[in-house]
Amino acid sequence: MTTSGPILSLVGLTRRFGEIAAVDDIDLEILDGEFFTIVGPSGSGKSTLIRILAGLERVDSGAVLLRGRAITDVPANKRPTAMVFQSLALFNHKTVGENIEFAPKMRGVDPAARRARALELMDLVRLPEAYYARPVTRCSGGERQRVALARALASDPEILFFDEPLSAIDYRLRKMLEVELKDLHRETGKTFIYITHSLEEAMVMSDRIGIMRAGRLVQIGPPLEIYQQPRSRFVAEFMGEVNVLRASEFGVAGEGWLVVRPEQLRPLAPGEAADVVFEARIVNDYLLGSRKQFHARADERMLIGEIAVAAASVPGPGEPVRLGFDLGDAVRVAE
Amino acid sequence: MSSTRNRLVTALLALWTVLVLMLLYVPILSVVLASLANTRYMRFPHKVWTLDAYRDALGQYTTAELHLTSLKIAVLVALIAVLLGVFGALAFARFEWRGRSLYQRLLLLPIFFPQAVLGLALLLAMTAAGIAPSWRTAVFAHLVWVVPIVTLVISIRLYGFDVAQEEAAFDLGASRLQVFREVTLPALAPGIVSGGLFAFLLSWSNLPLSIYTTGSDTTLPLWLFSRTATNYSPLVPALAVIATGASVLVVVAAALALAGWRRLVARRSA
Repeated sequence: MTTSGPILSLVGLTRRFGEIAAVDDIDLEILDGEFFTIVGPSGSGKSTLIRILAGLERVDSGAVLLRGRAITDVPANKRPTAMVFQSLALFNHKTVGENIEFAPKMRGVDPAARRARALELMDLVRLPEAYYARPVTRCSGGERQRVALARALASDPEILFFDEPLSAIDYRLRKMLEVELKDLHRETGKTFIYITHSLEEAMVMSDRIGIMRAGRLVQIGPPLEIYQQPRSRFVAEFMGEVNVLRASEFGVAGEGWLVVRPEQLRPLAPGEAADVVFEARIVNDYLLGSRKQFHARADERMLIGEIAVAAASVPGPGEPVRLGFDLGDAVRVAE
Repeated sequence: MSSTRNRLVTALLALWTVLVLMLLYVPILSVVLASLANTRYMRFPHKVWTLDAYRDALGQYTTAELHLTSLKIAVLVALIAVLLGVFGALAFARFEWRGRSLYQRLLLLPIFFPQAVLGLALLLAMTAAGIAPSWRTAVFAHLVWVVPIVTLVISIRLYGFDVAQEEAAFDLGASRLQVFREVTLPALAPGIVSGGLFAFLLSWSNLPLSIYTTGSDTTLPLWLFSRTATNYSPLVPALAVIATGASVLVVVAAALALAGWRRLVARRSA
């Protein structure tokens, strides 16, 4: 067994629903032990894709290879993978212990060994031992997340899939669980494939991110690369609020767009120069902790900028301001 | 001031509740009272209070036979209705398929037929097919009317059921059969119990369908009806009280069995 090779290969994977290709000819290799996140808006096909990988959805064409062996037609219950569902899908009529022990029970593991394994996993996901006999319906949101995670791990999967399990959780708890999930990934050394519509969530946890749009992966790379070098307007705008400007308007040859991040558009001091300067008026501003973000209008154009609160006094709403950025800071995208 | 008004509202509410409860239970109570008389004509209060009617009812063979016939029909109806209802409910509420909405409408149609019409229709159909009416055909007739209701009762459980639970079980290595046994069936269990009880009680107390379809066999409601019409005596209300007691017994037994089963499951998993 090589540790550096791909654990999962997707070859020309396609799934259509009527006229629409939910998954459209996707090629992808996922490395052993990697935390790979697929990010896309709703309707981009990311749920269909992960369901295909789990064996819960059939394909129209293409193949899925696990360590080089085709598993395209292997049903979910015969695949060495486990999924954490969006709704968590806990068995509501069972206790925490029974939920976690489900996969070993199906495999015929004897009750004592099952229980020992369940308690071990509960410790790993930080569930107190006292929860073992508790009905899952009496657990809080965060506890239910941990039960779902332990239940998936109990099947000793080679790959764990996550279908937006944190989307319904409040901000603080979500942040905490993101970090725990990343720790768990390191501790178990397993391959995690995660889908979410939140790039912010993907950034925190992933080794690599794939951006999905209309059934295709439009960009794949490490988080920082995606952030710093988006390859299209779509990816850039998906990252959060950015300024997208037509390149030809600013003396840059050729077609395409300039992507300018809020932090790169700065208020200029009197006499300060920049490659591109706008005479603008602040429309509104709001505080983001140590930084302040503002919207400004220059003629018919709306701009978004950001500045450190401590750095300088920013003009308030309604006041005129000179804003500028350097072409070297902008990212050029073709489409 | 406001506390006086509150007290008045509470008193009125209590009075209203008592009135509604009386509306429901006084007629039943009057059957009990009628069974304690020794005359064919109800004149309350009785001159003589007696348990003679009960002694007669328990002493004669008919009582046991009537109960047995009704029990036989009701138990069979409950079992078959639950079996059909579980799979019918899965088709009704769990799976998307072409023709589902037509199926949903067709399934519920028998409930909207007046039972007397349905009974007549069944009798005509059976006669045409050369089937002699008996308690067995009554089982069939009751099923036509009861299965839609049981299917609906079980379907209600399915509407609140997260289908992903089945996928999760399958994903964790369960076979299709194990998924059904471990996840779907336990989720449906409360619906199955209440659906089964419904089926039993609806069959146990059914008159209009039985009139047409039992042939020479006689069920409890049938006997009560015909004896009230032609040959009334306190034996009739006495038997009615016994029959009611029997159905209450069934419900209590079912509730106890369910509670016992739950405790057993809980102890086994602890």
